[in-house]
Amino acid sequence: MKNFFKSTKNDEKKLIARLIKGEAEAFNFVVSEYNNVMLSVARAIVGEAFADEVVQEAWISAIKALPKFEGRSSLKTWLLNIVSNGAKTRIKRESRQLSLDDGWESVDSSKFDHTGHRYDDVLPWEQESPEALLANDQLQDIIDSCFQSLPPLQRATLTMYDLEGIKMEEVCNILDISSSNARVLLHRARTTLHHAIEKYQGN
Amino acid sequence: MKFFECKDVAEEANNYLDGDLPLRTRIGLFLHIMFCSCCRNYLQQLREAIKTVSIIKPKEKSSTDEKALADKLMNLSQEDK
Repeated sequence: MKNFFKSTKNDEKKLIARLIKGEAEAFNFVVSEYNNVMLSVARAIVGEAFADEVVQEAWISAIKALPKFEGRSSLKTWLLNIVSNGAKTRIKRESRQLSLDDGWESVDSSKFDHTGHRYDDVLPWEQESPEALLANDQLQDIIDSCFQSLPPLQRATLTMYDLEGIKMEEVCNILDISSSNARVLLHRARTTLHHAIEKYQGN
Repeated sequence: MKFFECKDVAEEANNYLDGDLPLRTRIGLFLHIMFCSCCRNYLQQLREAIKTVSIIKPKEKSSTDEKALADKLMNLSQEDK
């Protein structure tokens, strides 16, 4: 499932060489490819107000440091670490308490009896395949607005892990959270999106 | 061994799909899922939801003019040369 995320080291070397040469097309490509996930990380760490600024600053330091980029990580991970470090210096770490205990429930507990069994049957969706789900504009809007309504940390975790194919360990480093926190965030984000699709399917 | 219920499957569903669970929990959940069509359907739905979202790839709402940013960075990269 994660294979389509991979770009080879060679591709990246070529891309970096083109950036150093100053090719407009290469700059357009990296910005369109990475600005979104950088913004997502910045928002998760520093909040909406400073996120744009942090991302701009990260881009500037990244471009200046690019000739020294050694390729030990992917370009994407390297950029995200720059954003993350920039965002972290904007806030005092002590002031950031990650509270996950907000009364969140993975599946409404009224769906289970006292022994933990489901009251109702869960039926397969009518539109089973992702392709069938995708053919539907209305559903795409529902997914998009549900995604926008997720808390920034959940969005960033989901964006990096599920949408960008970044390893869990890296996600944790970038957001400076424990792996169990990251798992909880991912679980909540995915479950909320599942609920939105489920509601639409009318199950 | 703990006997797993539907509620446990719902709570651990994502870790189960990502293969990120201790073997004992994994086997316990697997046994429950073998006998429970509701939980099988639930996991299948969740799998489809994740795949669908990863294809749609929703983005952050942003007012950034990406073309202008790319131009700015390109000019900056050539300044020291």
